[in-house]
Amino acid sequence: MVASLAIPGFELRAALRKRPSLALQPAALAPSDGAEPLIGPVTAAAQQAGLRPGMRMGEALATCPKLVLVEPDPASAELEWEEIIRRLEDSGFAVESTALGTAYFDTRGVERLYGGLEQALKRALAAVGSHWDARVGAATRRFAALAAANVARPGQALVVSDERTEEFLAPLPLRLLGLDERRREELEALGVKRVGQLAGLPGAAVAERLGPDGRSAWSQARGGKRGRIRGRRPPAEVTEELEFPEAVGNELTLRRALATLTEKALTRPERADRFIRKVALSARLVGGASWRRTLTFRDPAGDADRIRLALGPKISEVPAPVMALRLELVEMTEETGRQLELVKPEGAELQSRLQEGLRQVKASTGGGAVATVVEVAPWSRIPEARALFVPRDG
Amino acid sequence: MVSDTGSASAVRSAGRLNEPRAALVEPQADGTPRLVNRLTVEVIREEWRVLDRWWTEEPVNRRYFDVILESGQQVVVFHDDEDGRWFSQRGA
Repeated sequence: MVASLAIPGFELRAALRKRPSLALQPAALAPSDGAEPLIGPVTAAAQQAGLRPGMRMGEALATCPKLVLVEPDPASAELEWEEIIRRLEDSGFAVESTALGTAYFDTRGVERLYGGLEQALKRALAAVGSHWDARVGAATRRFAALAAANVARPGQALVVSDERTEEFLAPLPLRLLGLDERRREELEALGVKRVGQLAGLPGAAVAERLGPDGRSAWSQARGGKRGRIRGRRPPAEVTEELEFPEAVGNELTLRRALATLTEKALTRPERADRFIRKVALSARLVGGASWRRTLTFRDPAGDADRIRLALGPKISEVPAPVMALRLELVEMTEETGRQLELVKPEGAELQSRLQEGLRQVKASTGGGAVATVVEVAPWSRIPEARALFVPRDG
Repeated sequence: MVSDTGSASAVRSAGRLNEPRAALVEPQADGTPRLVNRLTVEVIREEWRVLDRWWTEEPVNRRYFDVILESGQQVVVFHDDEDGRWFSQRGA
């Protein structure tokens, strides 16, 4: 069976972890900077007050003047989601994550381990934790499993057998299909308001009228593909974070901090000389919000300069002063050796001797004894604002 | 300062270089230092003011003195006009 895990409004729930009292009040996820002013997921109290995700902000505030807009916290949301996926993987499930709050996993491999499908699904819900109000749906087809997860109550596991799939999907609303708003309205204007009604139409006619998106929705309405679940490879765990004594808004300072983080991350023993495929740069912003960007290299990178040059331009996108900057080596290659040069570049020998010397100092005096001085604002009239020292391990 | 080398994730708290240190200064009537850390000030080489960050909640208002003590040592001290205390500082 294919199982789907759904945590509705995941990004809002993740943002509310730091302000749990808001969970019981009318609150909604504020739109991100530069995005259309539409509210994101809403709390149950906001739903009772008549608010719906995707409403215009002005309309939402007019409907519920007490509405609290919660700043999105994408870095926390990704970390929380990563934690959930890892707990599922620790329980033996091969997880395919499709979006924050939505994942698929195959139960075949673990049904015997846990004593049946129901037990395996319960185990998955327990691994996620009750505070997320997760739901699980299982079916022989992906879309049916996802629909079941969306229909299930918090903490419920809903199983739809193959023979009942059509019957189960038929009364569900069209919004569960991956159709854009206009296409859905077009269908509703034609009197097609339920998944079953769409499934009953000839596929060719749907494709002709609504194009490839419509055809894909029609296929989903009939249960979707049986598609195999591709469990992800667990990402690497090397992260480096630098906390600033005070909020930093200066791009040059942040670029220097990035250079320091890159150098530190690459010298971590866990990296074991592997090459970097994917990196993520995130920042904790002043006021509690966060910012995050990921980057995948076409050719895996092994030197700090390349990573720094690739991530550097992202720094200018940081929307507010930064309290802490974090670099994650998200994915690394398996291989450790790539013969790219026959002769070591000038200075490499000196660099390795220096590293060895630093390791000796560290071994004799303990951690924190070796630090790098990073000039952050050499032009400042306040001497202690000109440079920072950053403890180093390597 | 937090350094976690035991796990794959490390948080490092950056520290400030040349942080001011509290100094024992006895000033004269005009506000210039007479004794620094119980040593007589022989010469005031230079004096300057730093007024900065006045738009924030932590304004900087300092009167700096570059002095030579009777021991021959050169020290930079400043009077913090915000909280009335004296500090010595390297790198100024």
